[in-house]
Amino acid sequence: MTRYIVHRLLQGVVLLCMVAMIVFFLGRLTGNPVDLMLPEDATAEDRVAMIKALGLDGPLYQQFFIFVGKALHGDLGDSIRMREPAVDAFFSRLPNTLALIPWAILLAMGVGIPLGVLASLNRGNMIDRIAGIFAVLGIAIPGFFLGILLIFVFSVQLGWLPSGRMGGPEHYVLPVITLGAFLIAGFMRLVRSSMLEVMDSEYVKLARIKGLSEFVVIWKHCLRNALIPVLTLWGVFVGNLITGAIITETVFAWPGIGRLTYEAVIYRDFPLLQAVIILKSMLILSINLAVDILYAYVDPRIRLA
Amino acid sequence: MGRRHVLLLWAIAMALTIAALNPVAAQTQKSTLIFAVESLSGQTMDPILEARPGNAIYQAPMYDSLVGFDLDKGGTGPGVAERWELSEDGLSWTFYLRPGQKFHNGDPLTARDAKFSLQRQMAPNSLASAAATLRRTITSMDVVDDLTFRVNTVTPQIGLPASLSRAVATEGAIMPKDYIEKVGEEEFRRKPIGSGPWRFVRSVPGDRIEYEAVAWPHWRGTPHFKNLQILLVPEESTRVAMVRTGEAAIASIGPETMMSASRGGLEVLSVPGTMQALYQFWGVYRPEFKASPVADPRVREALSLAIDRQQIIDHIMNGKASLPYPFAAFGYTDYFDAPKWKQWADKAYRYDPARAKQLLAEAGYPNGFELNFANTALPGTQFMVDIGTAIADMWTKIGVRVKLKNYEWGSFAPLIRGDQAHLVGGVSMYRTVGRPDMPWRYEGSFASDSEQHLLGDKTNCDTYCQAFDSTYRELLSERDPAKRTLLTDRLVQTVSDTWVAVPIIEGMGYYAINSHQVGQFAAIPGRHELGDVFERIPRPEEKPWKQ
Repeated sequence: MTRYIVHRLLQGVVLLCMVAMIVFFLGRLTGNPVDLMLPEDATAEDRVAMIKALGLDGPLYQQFFIFVGKALHGDLGDSIRMREPAVDAFFSRLPNTLALIPWAILLAMGVGIPLGVLASLNRGNMIDRIAGIFAVLGIAIPGFFLGILLIFVFSVQLGWLPSGRMGGPEHYVLPVITLGAFLIAGFMRLVRSSMLEVMDSEYVKLARIKGLSEFVVIWKHCLRNALIPVLTLWGVFVGNLITGAIITETVFAWPGIGRLTYEAVIYRDFPLLQAVIILKSMLILSINLAVDILYAYVDPRIRLA
Repeated sequence: MGRRHVLLLWAIAMALTIAALNPVAAQTQKSTLIFAVESLSGQTMDPILEARPGNAIYQAPMYDSLVGFDLDKGGTGPGVAERWELSEDGLSWTFYLRPGQKFHNGDPLTARDAKFSLQRQMAPNSLASAAATLRRTITSMDVVDDLTFRVNTVTPQIGLPASLSRAVATEGAIMPKDYIEKVGEEEFRRKPIGSGPWRFVRSVPGDRIEYEAVAWPHWRGTPHFKNLQILLVPEESTRVAMVRTGEAAIASIGPETMMSASRGGLEVLSVPGTMQALYQFWGVYRPEFKASPVADPRVREALSLAIDRQQIIDHIMNGKASLPYPFAAFGYTDYFDAPKWKQWADKAYRYDPARAKQLLAEAGYPNGFELNFANTALPGTQFMVDIGTAIADMWTKIGVRVKLKNYEWGSFAPLIRGDQAHLVGGVSMYRTVGRPDMPWRYEGSFASDSEQHLLGDKTNCDTYCQAFDSTYRELLSERDPAKRTLLTDRLVQTVSDTWVAVPIIEGMGYYAINSHQVGQFAAIPGRHELGDVFERIPRPEEKPWKQ
């Protein structure tokens, strides 16, 4: 097991190095932050002075080595726009995103899993089709469109909920629905197909022959086994939520790391962009690693392989 | 004296004390003014770390600027300095500060603060856009007395007062010398103090900045609201929804949202003269383009005549834009005969496709020609891409085969510098923002040693290019207003005759307003941002600030 964990950790380090390199060079292909910070009639002299003040004056390879050297000491640089350490900016916004994600997962599981079970129990009939339509809509409707639609209906027309920003419990409803909609569909489809597979297995037939109630057979024996693949994909889903938060947080003016990423891209704030992507990658890798370890415990075939 | 009388006297004394501690202004200030905006830029409260838009939106409420605004006409006007004058030799500007100004901690605002602030703006760690230019042009600064401050320059700098106005840049922001020296820069950035009509309360990164109105009468106007909140709401639909639901009173919007905001029952405020959308030709003076159609001014004029500007105003700008003045000129431009040039522009920028075709035929291109067109939008004016697409279509109608290529601004901006290899011989969209000091803008685009050098460079400087350079040099040191206006006329005429940089429309700034939350007010012409307007915005039950 230890060998498995060390192997996965090494994979993670290699992946992080690749992410850092790609973000560093790709980010700089999109332009220069100075072009956005200076007015269009700024002189060449002012431009050169600002490039120097921001530490963007050296050759690219030199900037990269400085970045790597500092990163090895835990310093991912200062945000060009905010003039504060990029790591601090990330961790000051992270709690706001983390406040949203558990609710979105809870909503997705609370709605998606029962819906998946229901669809599998009614395979091919109207309920299954309606659940299928929900699943397709959940996956097909872009987050920004769903968010704006929800704001229009529940804030503007009905006046029930606020349009955006962080605040009391009522401020969470629309962003959580928007963020969780995709996952509801994901959970529903996964549970449905997994349930259909499990319901056809021998031990379920045996449980029925033994005279167990249908409720116990479905919700205890079938669902527990059907949830194993869901556990595997849980890590992927959380990763989706962290990256999907960019749109939700932008639409709902939610000051989390998703919006921070958006702002870093818009302003060509390279150090911030690098820090956000690297730290997000670390977060996602950690979650995936935790899920993999958990799964290895649940299913010995994984660690043996 | 009976016990009752003692109690009465005590009550009166208490009432008088409360009234003295809580002036009338503070008693009439109530509720919160909430403004939703698409960007808070760096969201830093230190003026030396912020660019113009951020300074104008969220730093302006709490910092005053050395030179202020002409609120009615637009352009520069009195600020912390109530007047300023140029010395006989043209090498120093003296600013006379208005008396009785103070910072939010009660310290008086003096000439020492003005000098200290400008020194901070010029420091190597400053991100002020013109820091390097100021370092080169300013030789020294003198504090003559508490209310008099002198800036000495290497050469005559006629445009210096405008450069120290928020109408143009951030460099005029006045910061408290004693406070910063006492607490240090880091603490100042955490707990900033200014002298504006709103004092800083808190900044929540990525979410909002909160202010509280000062309780004393302020020369910029004493706020009608007790508190001000500037919210960061990047998505335009959300901003409009927030104004409709009353979560915000005012929100910045683009021209494409104006109609839906009006249909949703909101008022739309238009700020005139905030920008000009234009197109400009690159490097057409170079010898290798001598035979190119666009090297012929008649062809360039024909392209302008083919543009139906009113169509663009009606359909892309939803009617909220106007026909432009000549390049980079506005109704409030300093030393500029606006009525005369308006008349000229209305005729010159008319829609006349027949004349356009005739000019093309006269130039030898009756069947049109191929034209490379780089379409782009500068930050904050995304509608420029639609304008570019529209004029490409209009040019096609007179036979020009337009090869349109769209660029995101980040990838377009580097093309302007160096040899301009991807742009020369073609045309691109461009923009100029509304600012009163026109020569500065002209120099950046047309001088032979400038970055854009649209009329000619140091090795290829023809008649127009030479005429421009010499007029600009004369203008730099001309102190007489009448002569300056004549020289400006000449500068505008030289550039206009070339048809190298041609305005398409004069754009506006737009805001959606919930009239149940705020009373009627007007913005400062040419000033897109509302940072210098918040203190004048009345509550709904109060009389309008301006009709």
